[in-house]
Amino acid sequence: MLVPLAYNVRSIFVRRSATILTLLGIGATVTVLTGFLALRAGFRAVYTQGGRSDVVYFLRPGATSEGQSSFPRERADRLVKSTPEIAQDAKGAPLAAMEIYNAVRRQKARGAGETNVPIRGVQPASFALREGFRVVAGREFKFGSDEVMVGTKLIDRIQGCGLDEVIQLNTTPFRVVGVFESAGAAPSEIWGDYERIGVALAVPWANSILARLKPGVDLKEFASRIKNDKENPCKVMTEPEYLEAQTNALGTMLAMVGVILGVVMGVAAIFTAMNTMLAALAARTHEIGILLSVGFRPLAIFVSFLFEALLLGLLGGAIGCLLALPLNGIETGTTNWDTFTEIAFSFRLTPDVLVTAVIFSLALGLFGGAIPAFRAARLAPTEALRRR
Amino acid sequence: MISLKLVRRNLLKHKMRSALTIASLVVGIFLLCVLRSLVVAIESGVQGAKRDRLVVQSAVSLFVSLPLNYQAKMEEVPGVAKIVKWQWFGAYWQEPKNFFANFATDPDALFDVFPEIEIVEGSVEEWRKDRRGCIVGDKIAEEYHWKVGQTIPLISAIFPPPQGDTWEFTVSAIYRPKSTAIDRRTMFFQWEYFEKGVEPLYGESPGTGTYFLRLAPGADQNEVMRRIEAMYENGPQRVTCSTEAAFQMQFVTMMGNIPTLMMSIGTGVLIAIALACVNTMLMAFRDQAHDVGIMKALGFTDGGVAGYMLSQSLFLCLLGGLLGVALAKGSQPLLMMGPMGAMFPGYDVTNRTMVIAASLSAAIGLVAGFVPALAARRMRSVDALRSVE
Repeated sequence: MLVPLAYNVRSIFVRRSATILTLLGIGATVTVLTGFLALRAGFRAVYTQGGRSDVVYFLRPGATSEGQSSFPRERADRLVKSTPEIAQDAKGAPLAAMEIYNAVRRQKARGAGETNVPIRGVQPASFALREGFRVVAGREFKFGSDEVMVGTKLIDRIQGCGLDEVIQLNTTPFRVVGVFESAGAAPSEIWGDYERIGVALAVPWANSILARLKPGVDLKEFASRIKNDKENPCKVMTEPEYLEAQTNALGTMLAMVGVILGVVMGVAAIFTAMNTMLAALAARTHEIGILLSVGFRPLAIFVSFLFEALLLGLLGGAIGCLLALPLNGIETGTTNWDTFTEIAFSFRLTPDVLVTAVIFSLALGLFGGAIPAFRAARLAPTEALRRR
Repeated sequence: MISLKLVRRNLLKHKMRSALTIASLVVGIFLLCVLRSLVVAIESGVQGAKRDRLVVQSAVSLFVSLPLNYQAKMEEVPGVAKIVKWQWFGAYWQEPKNFFANFATDPDALFDVFPEIEIVEGSVEEWRKDRRGCIVGDKIAEEYHWKVGQTIPLISAIFPPPQGDTWEFTVSAIYRPKSTAIDRRTMFFQWEYFEKGVEPLYGESPGTGTYFLRLAPGADQNEVMRRIEAMYENGPQRVTCSTEAAFQMQFVTMMGNIPTLMMSIGTGVLIAIALACVNTMLMAFRDQAHDVGIMKALGFTDGGVAGYMLSQSLFLCLLGGLLGVALAKGSQPLLMMGPMGAMFPGYDVTNRTMVIAASLSAAIGLVAGFVPALAARRMRSVDALRSVE
């Protein structure tokens, strides 16, 4: 027979100060870990949502991101016009765009220093190729003029990115005429005309080519054909593949720090929980003697103590999640090391993050409670009864 | 007077509890040291910056190169002693994850501007003679087991090689920098090799991302900066000329909130372990209330018993803290071998970090011991004796 769970629940609240301190200790650990996981989830979400698998990036072989890739213009142009697998729009023009990917030095808002804001030179097809692209304020820039649009994430974070402000590119001033929204990393970018941006930055090449493929094109076959092309070999990546690849460096770093944090802080929290449970055991030795002598089996005592530890872990975890909750949605930004440009993202307490946090807190309770529970189960009833 | 023996005996009486408390401090303080050392790593370039070095880059973008003819014109600016160009090459060894900084540069000028680069194996002469030669930091040589004389094929993510898939280099020498301005995981190779290799594709000679300027003794830094920026005010490429420290600082600000984040995590860790210690000391006090009563009855003063409680807490926390510091320092070579060494080449548990961590553990000891000490001080021996253990 098991010891009634109500016994443990009550016991937890008898030693109030010790319980509260333990809960706060576990809570602080879980908060840090949750916050960190939420940061990582937010960063990854930018790159893992909204990619279309029929949209492909053409990059120079060896390049891992657009900024590193480059094609002479005429080669890029020929690729767009002479690749039969590329889909066409209603007017029969290829649904493909040559793009320039560069960066401009800009001051962050609130005096946080300089950063590299991505700037993209685009062609008319670029808009249709982006999932969820729409202008939310102002208007689209006119091709052929020195105008740009800025992504929604830039307005509050980067200085000089408001409507009607001027962004100086070398010796050419560009006026901000619109604000756009889109899936993926584009809302952290400045967009202008491919030709005009190329001239202003003296960039005589295209960094990448983006295209939608006709339905039914065998991707593998297509990629290998383009890769082995004699004249202009390219690396072909689908949009989801490409985006995923942009999370390598920072994603790995965040995961690594997350694991270190989880393990190290977890160990400290386990020690705390163990201490608390040992103190609980010491204070209740007499009670355990009584339980044993009225016929509860040692296993029941073990389960009972373990349950109490799990309960402590769970409550601490709940406190931790609650404390981390206000972080949800907070915008932050850093340099994505794969593109070497600034990317804005927000903390996201996704269900995955919360579930991980709860499992983590239960594990803290489990590991912290196992030894004390084992000790409790091993007490000899007569010995335990003698202790007051 | 409180005897240390009494403190020691009491801590040993609850071996498990003392060990657990010390252990949680060890891991907590260890983590704190690691986090701070990561921030140190991020800022290491700024720390190593020299006052007599300036950096010229495009004013527009980190990705835009400057024409090579800028160098001769800048050399004429009064106060400029030497100039060396660095072009980011973006190459990796076998796989993208084996990544390190590599630059095309001029061998002679490099040592003029960066005298802190010290060759520890091979020779500069070898490098000068070999067009494909390169010098590599001792950390990458160790990591990839490169020997002097070895040929290393690298893949550049930015520049396609003239033929085949890789650029071939020969390791001419291995260097170790004398300051943190240069990290130990960088490779430098000959400009000529780079230029001849990329010209055919782009049809023109490549530009360079950065120029490093060494100032003549007594030169007016600000005046030089102003003049160089003014020279290219009307293009073709505007430049920004900054001190080396400001140049390095841009990479720190690029990281945005990451250093702040690390520090707030550190604070979280600190709070968590402080709470754990307070908890332990409260438990310890409850156990010892009866003892305190006896001590007081025997004639220990209020201050004496308070000190007795406080020194238990201080002893535990300092011991745990010092062990944590030792663990952080001791594990440094081990951590540097893994992916962390690649990502944070400047990682270093500095003396300052160790002092801060040790002081923090003492502070935790004081905080945790405060409530029990106060309670012990206030306690009347009759009440204490009446309390049943």
